[in-house]
Amino acid sequence: MKTPDWLIATPSARHRVNVGLRAGLAAFGGYGLALLGAAAFAAGLPFDFRPDAVSLAIMIAFVLQLIAIIWAFAAATIARAVLGLAIPAALFGLWLLLLR
Amino acid sequence: MMTFDRARPLRQSMNWLHTWSGLLLGWLLFAIFVTGTLSYFRNEITFWMQPELHRAQTAPPERIAFVRALALLAREAPDAQQWTLTLPNPRNPTLGLGWQSSMTGNRQASSDATREQDAGGAQPSNPAAESRPFSGETTRGRPDRGEARGENGARQEGRRRERGADGAQLPNPATESRSFSGETARGRPNRGEARGESGARPPRAERQPEAGPQRSGAGAQRQGQGGGGHRGPRLALDPESGEKLEGRATAGGNFLYRFHFELYGIDRIWARWIVGIATMLMFVALVSGVVVHRRIFKDFFTFRPGKGKRSWLDAHNASSVLSLPFHLIITFSGLVLFGNMLMPTALQAAYRGDSEARFGEMRARMTPSSGMPEPSGERAPLTTGLAALIAEAQDIWGGGERVGSITITHPGDRNAVIELRQMGFPSLTGGRNVPVLRFNGVTGEPLAAPAAREQSVVQAVGSVLNLLHRGFFATPVPRWLLFLSGVGGSLMIASGLVMWTVSRARKAPEPARAPWGHRLVEVLNIAAVAGLMVAIAVHFWANRLIPADLPMRADGEIHAFFIAWAVMLVHAALRRPKAAWVEQLACAGVLTGLLPLVNAATGGLALPGSIERGLGLLAGFDLCALISGAGMLYAAYKVHRHTPRARLAASPSREEPGSGPETEADTLLPGTMEEAA
Repeated sequence: MKTPDWLIATPSARHRVNVGLRAGLAAFGGYGLALLGAAAFAAGLPFDFRPDAVSLAIMIAFVLQLIAIIWAFAAATIARAVLGLAIPAALFGLWLLLLR
Repeated sequence: MMTFDRARPLRQSMNWLHTWSGLLLGWLLFAIFVTGTLSYFRNEITFWMQPELHRAQTAPPERIAFVRALALLAREAPDAQQWTLTLPNPRNPTLGLGWQSSMTGNRQASSDATREQDAGGAQPSNPAAESRPFSGETTRGRPDRGEARGENGARQEGRRRERGADGAQLPNPATESRSFSGETARGRPNRGEARGESGARPPRAERQPEAGPQRSGAGAQRQGQGGGGHRGPRLALDPESGEKLEGRATAGGNFLYRFHFELYGIDRIWARWIVGIATMLMFVALVSGVVVHRRIFKDFFTFRPGKGKRSWLDAHNASSVLSLPFHLIITFSGLVLFGNMLMPTALQAAYRGDSEARFGEMRARMTPSSGMPEPSGERAPLTTGLAALIAEAQDIWGGGERVGSITITHPGDRNAVIELRQMGFPSLTGGRNVPVLRFNGVTGEPLAAPAAREQSVVQAVGSVLNLLHRGFFATPVPRWLLFLSGVGGSLMIASGLVMWTVSRARKAPEPARAPWGHRLVEVLNIAAVAGLMVAIAVHFWANRLIPADLPMRADGEIHAFFIAWAVMLVHAALRRPKAAWVEQLACAGVLTGLLPLVNAATGGLALPGSIERGLGLLAGFDLCALISGAGMLYAAYKVHRHTPRARLAASPSREEPGSGPETEADTLLPGTMEEAA
């Protein structure tokens, strides 16, 4: 049986799917990583005065989000893009667990 | 062509990211940038929009009619907990009076915190005002949030919160802006509820009581210079005669200010999220643009305008690179201002949701130094020697420092306290620690000044970001620099948007049948760039053409803005792109350029008069209108004269008028593709 046309991934379609995945990863993964990072730094930064830790954590989180978004598009492959976000996310998660 | 499923150089990825992150919400970003840039002068804009106040004669402290002013306060607000007099200053020549009633029935803050807050206005020596930096946070998701607009109680509450944020200088998102009305400019009779306030406004004095319970935040003086928005009842007097000046109800510059981070007509929390997302996209576009534009540092130091062809690319690069530090800081600080809202996990993790602990900590560190006496309950007449106290304060400070505002706490009580605040901010990192002197309100004897607030490094960073974003500076020069950088940022976004269509028009095989996406971008570009300029000009026209005593006129000004903008969108969709650009730019240019005439013809102080009187704020508005009007007309002319080469659909904009004719953008960022290949 012949493969229907719409199932044959043209280069352009492959590109689009790839971009879509990366965009989704950047939007949700980037924000998720930033949220995790914000929590970890806010709870873990060694400030006597917690509002300082919160403020600094928020600033760091925005930079994290920026880097994550850029990484999502810069990584050579989708897999690397995912890994690049997943590993720091796991580390932040671990840090949060240890802080509990 | 670069595809993401194959190996490709970093700069190509970043080029793609730059293009699309910039385009996605670029139109919104342009509007945010333009209205935000104008907000640096929102006091001046609001003053312009109240021609009734234009002829106030500024006066030196010794000639100010303090006796009449105090008598007026005693009549209008005999039971107020605090009175504030804002002396004439470069940003407002009138004498501003404000007051707050007592703090009974405050349902949110503990009364001591509130009282402290009140004591300080936005001026910061007042610790408790700083002590609630996160207070705004708690409003998110509050059930009454939705009512915040158009309802006094909620609004007032927002106001108080906002104040907390102001003082705090910690990034504070939710607060920064809860109240549309909070930013009321001085001297507005109606406190300028730009949104939704119902019709006939009763005189302030009668309205206040109903707003009472929540009015703890009223009376804040937003900017040390005294020109800031003022929350709470507010009167403007002619300084020397003490005559009350009745300014018209106006949306004022506050509408533009609010719009730049809360948009209009949608829930403000949603609006802030949208603006926050747009800001993050801007951040991504900026940084990816820097990666792509590899000679950035070379350009930064060797940029020579007028050399070589100014293509769209050059225009875009020039406007970007020249004020890149500004763009980065304004974007990042914009995010940080919304930080508690956008990154809620930070607070949750640090306090495990215990908001009381948070306030307690802030208060413990910052409150102890207030030292404001409690009212004694015994009546005693207030000293009449305010002018003498001012002279004394200026002697103590020396160096030509002037008093910016006078706060009288517990007026009429034996324990009344008079605080004199210096005009302006002493330093960037010092935030709002404006020098303050305290005197006994009855005897005029000096009292111990409140201790300066200590600030940690992180808070200092936060306050620098806050100050830079919001232009809290004593002198006009940094504010003008910020303004010009904002103009540069607006041009950057506009030229970037236009470049998207220009570069694609060249590639499209058949422009007559442009893909709908291309057409969409083109129409939105015209309406968002030129159309917004028309809408802003119409907003100012409406300010003068809507009768001054018409009910709801402030809303009328806002509606005029949006109606004009919508008409421009329809116009852009119906006309051919080039015609639409020319017509809208010309329309905006004429409307803006005529504003000084409208000002003169409708009761305002005309340009020659304002220059002669040294009223920089009025002259500045009129001159800016003339210059930008001329600039837009010139841009319209250049677009009109421009004959598109080949099949290039013309869509130049006003920002680099000279660049219209020779558009050479084959790729968004030439060099990228070739080098990558």
